[in-house]
Amino acid sequence: MRRDTISRRQALEQVALLLGGAISAPTVAGVLSPATRRAWAASPAWAPRTLSPAQLELVATLAEHIIPQTDTPGARTAGVHRFVDTLLTDHYAATERDRFLAGLTAVDGRARSAHGNVFVQCAPEQRIALLTEMDAGAYASGSGEDGWFFRRMKELTLVGYYTSEIGASQELHVSPFGVYRGDIPYASVGRAWS
Amino acid sequence: MISYDAIVIGSGITGGWAAKELTERGLQTLMIERGRNVEHRKDYVTEHKPAWQFPLRNARLAVGTQGAQEYPIQARTGQFHESVKHFFIKDHRNPYVEDTPFTWIQGDQVGGKSLIWGRQVYRWSDLDFEANLRDGHGVDWPIRYADVAPWYSYVERFIGVSGEKLGLPQLPDGEFQPPMEMNGGEKFVKAGLERAFPDRRLTIGRVAILTQALNGRLPCHYCQASTLPAARATGRLTILPNSLVHSLIYDAATNRVTGVRVVDTNTKQTREYSGRLVFLCASTLATARVLLNSKSARFPNGLANSSGVLGRYLMDHHFRVGASGVIEGLLDHYYQGNRPNGIYVPRFRNLGDDASRRSDYVRGFGYQGGASRQGWARGGGEPGFGVELKRKLHDPGRWTMGLTGFGECLPRADNYVELADQTDEFGIPQLRVHCTWSDNELAMRKDMAASAAEMLEAAGCKEVRTYDANRAGALGAEPGLAIHEMGTARMGRDPRTSVLNAHNQAHDVPNLFVTDGACMASSSCVNPSITYMALTARACDYAVAELKRGNL
Repeated sequence: MRRDTISRRQALEQVALLLGGAISAPTVAGVLSPATRRAWAASPAWAPRTLSPAQLELVATLAEHIIPQTDTPGARTAGVHRFVDTLLTDHYAATERDRFLAGLTAVDGRARSAHGNVFVQCAPEQRIALLTEMDAGAYASGSGEDGWFFRRMKELTLVGYYTSEIGASQELHVSPFGVYRGDIPYASVGRAWS
Repeated sequence: MISYDAIVIGSGITGGWAAKELTERGLQTLMIERGRNVEHRKDYVTEHKPAWQFPLRNARLAVGTQGAQEYPIQARTGQFHESVKHFFIKDHRNPYVEDTPFTWIQGDQVGGKSLIWGRQVYRWSDLDFEANLRDGHGVDWPIRYADVAPWYSYVERFIGVSGEKLGLPQLPDGEFQPPMEMNGGEKFVKAGLERAFPDRRLTIGRVAILTQALNGRLPCHYCQASTLPAARATGRLTILPNSLVHSLIYDAATNRVTGVRVVDTNTKQTREYSGRLVFLCASTLATARVLLNSKSARFPNGLANSSGVLGRYLMDHHFRVGASGVIEGLLDHYYQGNRPNGIYVPRFRNLGDDASRRSDYVRGFGYQGGASRQGWARGGGEPGFGVELKRKLHDPGRWTMGLTGFGECLPRADNYVELADQTDEFGIPQLRVHCTWSDNELAMRKDMAASAAEMLEAAGCKEVRTYDANRAGALGAEPGLAIHEMGTARMGRDPRTSVLNAHNQAHDVPNLFVTDGACMASSSCVNPSITYMALTARACDYAVAELKRGNL
């Protein structure tokens, strides 16, 4: 259980501003329900509750491009698409959910006008080109809905991946419980704590 | 009616201490709690769970999300996360009227907010106990540091407090376990800050978290609720959960409280319990509500309210103002493990000497904060994706350092609670809260932001930015949000202007004691919990002695 001080947390919220406001509040909010727990488990019986199968595949594909498999598993293996469906179903307000779904539709629209196919059916180099364009646009001023969607998609991918068991313990380190050392050489750790 | 030696209302930090002290002194004690039962250890169901075991990864449940639907008030605090949601009250169970924005954070279980508090503990000094007398705001405290000091020690030895001794008159040292360690970024800022400002200190937070084993409790084990197990061990404690106090029963013939009227929150039936003395520890606002709702011919405006000040002089700390910056370099420094603590900069304004005197406000503030290296979340804030992004986030990012001020709030009659016309689902009148920051707090905030930036820059931080979340008449840094609400039944020397005497005993009713935050006559700028605990233990010692002398 988290036991940070209120004050420290507030301070760190401010520090988080320096991260570029990386994680928006609705991204990191939700509800603990039995339905959510069931949905979260990666069982063969799992099925999305908000996303259509096509939308689910689009989310999984986008996420895997953002955090791909390397010598460690990527976003798809870590179940980022299931996490996104859970957030959309159990956590987001309806307006937020619809805005995200509209963003998915817009990605396919962009892919169709550029390459005549929905995103997941584009060739890998076509997808990379589309993502490069969306990524560059997302951080420019006046980036509009497309920018909002891509930044949100990236945030969700990072949260979903690095807080998964795979992301937290294979790609990064899980900090051992009960031991605190304040000032150690980074070389002795070698990668970030999750 | 079942009769007890003592009745303790509330099971949080002060109720727990009252139960421990009264039972250990031989009193058969009934503890009444509005919320559900929570068993120590067994019911800490989310303790030590990694993020991936939570459907939403221990997300913050912000206002507007589905998870916050039953918690529109509780979700205002950044503390409201998936893992601790079950220790906050569902707001429909405790409705109140906000005349002005006021965030009332409450637990709804045995243990109260003691299960979720931040554990920062700082002794008050005579700078605090003499503040009202010196500048004329509020009434003089009937006690001084010397009265409380042995009780601070008594509490520290039992709960275990880690920290560093500094020898500062404005922040007295306690009986500390070894301090937690600062990280590389904090050491860097400390060195630069203390070099630039020889009169200021940056120290590790003083916190009720063990760095050494104590009484069978392991070091760095956060869930160390300690008073209720001790009270239970005496065999003299009865805990009554799911029981909301409606009012206290007063007998004018003897001028004593004779018992407590409670509403069973499951059946909504009313029951009564009698006791020879009552400790009211329901938390500041809930305590005020019980007293205001305990009306009689002798006390038509609320029990023990012959002064008329009951409900008034409500305070909270004002915070969410400060600065943050980036520390360049130190990329070969890192840390390991979770340290549920930050750093502290003790008060350095208005210490009584000319050098620290401010002309634009009275009283003072301290800072809490900390340094850390940016984590994977930074990837969302800048362009980049794919293998390159993953490789970048494999390493931690730059060091950042933040300072958040906690400022003293003046006691003012204009900040008050009263009973509203509407009742809650249990038939008890709701509270109406009226509380705003005064010009003194607003002037102090400007200095809190500017001084934080000045210190970070002097220490060598870059990209220093100030912030102030306060928005007049709106949410942001509204009263209540610091969860240090206090006042409404203040201690004082004069029964005409205060509710409680130097022993937290009601001036009007000798067997009634109030030892939670309601008793406070001023707010200091340091976290209040250990002062509540020390005052509770001290009041119990006095009450039992008086009981044995036949004076109650």
